[in-house]
This record gives sequence, structure tokens and C-alpha cells, in this order.
Amino acid sequence: MSDANTGGSEAGSDHDHDHHTGPGYASPQAAIEEGEREQLAYVMSLYTGSDVDAPDFVSVVDLDPDSETYCEIVDRIEMPNRGDELHHFGWNACSSSCHMDGLERRHLIVPGQRSSRIHVIDTKDRRNPELVEVIEPEEVFEYDLSAPHTVHCVPDGQILISMLGDADGDLPGGFLELNDDFEIEGRWEPPGEIEMNYDYWYQPRQNVMVSTEWAAPKTYYPGFDLDDVEEGKYGRRLHFWDWENGTVEQTIDLGEEGLIPLEVRFLHTPESTHGFVGAALSSNMFHFWYDEGAGEYRAEKAIDFEARDHPDWEMPVPGLTTDILISMDDRYLFGSNWLHGELWMYDISDPANPRRADSLSVGGTFGEVQGVQGRELAAGPQMLQLSLDGERLYWTTSLFSTWDEQFYPEEGERGSVMLKADVDPRNGTLELDEDFLVDWGDCPAGPARAHEIRWPDGDCTSDVWQ
Amino acid sequence: MSSYDVTLERVGGPTRTIGIDERETVLEAAQRAGTPLPYGCRTGACGTCVGRLLAVDGTASVDADAAEDGIDVADAFAYRREPRALKPRHRDDGYVLLCIATPETACRVAVGSQVQSELVDNPWK
Repeated sequence: MSDANTGGSEAGSDHDHDHHTGPGYASPQAAIEEGEREQLAYVMSLYTGSDVDAPDFVSVVDLDPDSETYCEIVDRIEMPNRGDELHHFGWNACSSSCHMDGLERRHLIVPGQRSSRIHVIDTKDRRNPELVEVIEPEEVFEYDLSAPHTVHCVPDGQILISMLGDADGDLPGGFLELNDDFEIEGRWEPPGEIEMNYDYWYQPRQNVMVSTEWAAPKTYYPGFDLDDVEEGKYGRRLHFWDWENGTVEQTIDLGEEGLIPLEVRFLHTPESTHGFVGAALSSNMFHFWYDEGAGEYRAEKAIDFEARDHPDWEMPVPGLTTDILISMDDRYLFGSNWLHGELWMYDISDPANPRRADSLSVGGTFGEVQGVQGRELAAGPQMLQLSLDGERLYWTTSLFSTWDEQFYPEEGERGSVMLKADVDPRNGTLELDEDFLVDWGDCPAGPARAHEIRWPDGDCTSDVWQ
Repeated sequence: MSSYDVTLERVGGPTRTIGIDERETVLEAAQRAGTPLPYGCRTGACGTCVGRLLAVDGTASVDADAAEDGIDVADAFAYRREPRALKPRHRDDGYVLLCIATPETACRVAVGSQVQSELVDNPWK
């Protein structure tokens, strides 16, 4: 799509991208056409929860097949403290800010999930980024928030971070706002709008934000306990917000089939009101959309992954769908079933009726491929990232240090890997690239875990269009 | 002000005894003594630093299975704040959050990431 033919809304009708000088691409299609092949990846890398006496770090991974250091970690930006559990991160500015002269998509905001410390990394030198600011946990606790998770830039240059707990690791969570000098501006929403929090995404042209629910930090931090599920301590609801007012307009309870809704994505098209959320524990995908007639959002189960029996496991093993991603052209939904060891790809041209295109059985409990280049895989596919052109899908294998320890204890001993599949969007196929392997087992201080992946020039899970 | 000898036994690793001031947390003392322990939140919410009390001042060592024989964390440690990451069953089993625990007697504690991984096991296996 282009902005020229997407009119209709007030925001769209005066939205001229012809001469903007800000960061990002004018539209998702421009990102596909103008974006170059990813040369580097920034990857969250961690030692928290292990016996390795070293801080977490951000890895710079060489993805240029013509480079001598292809598939190697070419730089590591160490955090100043141990114990952060780096998890998710985001940019100070993205394509939503494309009218903001003077803004540059240059700084990575890197929170510590366990420490509640927030770091700012300057990526002006792409291969040698530099840590430039640190917000200490005590500054965050002053706003009665902890456990920072999803980072998105906000259209006027500010940064919004979903926070999963209060200062004690209890509920409720909320949202912390930083200004463009990377100082805490305050709480974004009036207190009391939500109890549980996790991921969020917004569609500014529709004045809507959607947020999901994990649990209180003190519930999920130590590990996953089925008793907590039975006691209702894990989330199953979606919250639809008035984006300008910062208030919840509608809450949808997804029920038993929507237990632990984690990653949530609107389609990239800024006009769209369709999106998907992965219910991790129930291992179902829900499609949600705005029902014009009813004047509210609706959510329906669109994909169901069945639990599977395994001789070594006493109960049927759920897929545990921990990450999902929508291609920049909004044509495919990708996801990872971490316990099963499956990557899947669905055609979502008709979002209400996803059609299975292909899948890859790799790692995890059932994966057909259990090693790459002789390196045994310890865990299933987890965090995903896709090239802007939709032709290369990358993933890492660590979920969360304590949950890794429960389900894949070998992950901590061997470290994580980053793998890649070649995607054929025309034919809707996935093929494992056996020549690609990045191994965190070889890190100098000892085996490390690897989590979320970002490209320097924006990617399929961090860019939102205004 | 008192100081107590706390013996930290890393599971599968070295054992080290350090004198810990009663106003000091085990984590702070371990860092001061150059004996790194895993940790995360430092507020008792995340459980990364968890240890398991093995014996209190001169009593015979026990393992987790023998916890019902009565080893009580409250005999050995005070908490600076609520140990939120521990459930009642964990507290009963002798688990202690070393980032917020200050010693009240000499004792022996199992430490290291192995202790954390004992806390919650795989519910499907």
C-alpha cells in the first residue's frame, strides 16, 4: 500500500510523506522497497540466572554473507551491572516519527526485566555501539513500577515502556514514559486502568492501542507453576486503549483458550484494525478486529495448535507459542512453538481465515532437525525476526532464564543459538539454512542465552506507522 | 553488632565461609568477599538469588527431603523486606532469598543457579 491511496481517516487525509526528512520509511511498502538487506543484528544476550559471573550484553551479529565474520558476534556491549536479564528492547524513534525533524532512529532502549534498570545504547557506529545512559532501578520504583518489557517509540519523540509490576513485583503494572532526553517523564496512563501487562502495539491512525497480560513479576520470575494458572494468576485478556487519552476503552476476556496472551501485533498497514495475538499457554492464535457495526473490537480463535503426547512427558505437551510476527507486507503470520520445536507460517491475506502455508520442525521436544552443523540444539525456536523483504526468518532459542531452566536445562549449559530459514513468499515455503549458525555457547565468559533480535534500520516487530 | 560465619556451598562447586555482619545481606557480603552469587531484582521479587538452608549453627546438615525434620529459615535469617518470590512451600523447604536475607546465626547454605532450578520443575514431566 502507499499513503496516496489509503485516505479516508482524518489523520490519513493530511498525511503527506513526500518531503519528510525524519527517520524511517514513509510506509511499510517503502520499507520493503527502500530497506537494504540486513547486515547486522542486535541480539539481547544474557548471563542472569547462571553461575557465570558477568553482566548481560547486547551482541552485534554479522549477517553479511560476503563478510569474513559472517555468523559471528563481532561486538558485545556489556551492561554496567549484573543481574539485569535483558529481554526485549526498542528504538528511540521509528517510522511512526517520520515527520519529526531532528529525530534519528539511533538509540536502543534496553531494559533489564529483573533489575528494572533501563539502558540507552547509541548505535551511531553500527558495528560498535556505545552505552550512553543508564536509568537506575530506584528511579523507576519511584513511579511504583517494575519489570520493563516492550519498548515502542511514541510519535512525538517520546518512548513508552510496558511495565509488568509495581515497585514490589506485585500487580498492577502500567506504562512508563521517557522523554527524548531519555529521562523518566512519568506514568503514561492514569493508575488503575489495568492489573496485568505484557506486550502492546498501537495504530495511531485508529487511535487505538492493544495490550496483553502475562502475570505479576513475582509470579513468573521464579518459574512457571501450573498452580498459579489454576489460581488465576496468569492473564487471558486483551485491553483496547484510547491511544490519545491513555485509557482502556474495552477489555476482551479470551477465556481458557486464550491463556497467557503474549506477543500482540497489528497489521503494519496503518489503516488496518486487524491484528493477532498468540496465547502462549493455550497455544492458540486469536485474530482481533474492529467491528464497525458493533462499534467495538472482537477477538476469535483463528489457529489452534494441539498438545502432543511424548513418551518422556507425563502430560500432553503444549506447543507453547511464545512469539509471533507479521511480515512487512502483511501477508504472512509467523510463529514459534517453543516446546514442540516448530516454526510455522500462515497466509493471512484473509485475516479471519489464516491458511497454513508451511512449517519447520526444528529443535525442541519434537523437532525433526535436532542439530545444525553438528551443534546440538538445546531448545525450540523462540524470538523471531524477519527481513524487511520477507525472505529471511531468523530466530533465537532462549525464552526466559528460569523458564529455560525448567523446560530446557541444557540451554543454560550449552548456550543459545541463532538460526535462519529462507522464506519463499511467492510459494509460501520455509527452508532451514544449514549454513547459518550463530553460537552463544562460545562466548568468552561462558555459554550465554540469546533472546530478542533487532535490525538497525527498523524491523517487523518494532516499526509502527503514523 | 554481630558477625556470623555463613558457609556458602555452591552446588557442584567450591564451598566458602564468610563472616557476615548482621546488617549485611548475604548477597552484599558475598560480593564484598569476591564470591559471586546469581541475582536479579535485589528486592526479593525474582528468586534468582535463592539459596537453601542446609544447617543452622552446629546442627547436622539436612537435605531438602528432610526439611520436615524442622529446619526453619527464621532461625537463621531475618528479611529486610517480604520475600515475594517464595511460596509458602518454598519457605517450608528451607529456601531463602539471599539478596534480602541478613544472618542471625552461623549457618550453611546451598547456593548457585542449581538451587534456583530446583524451585519450580517442569509441570509436564
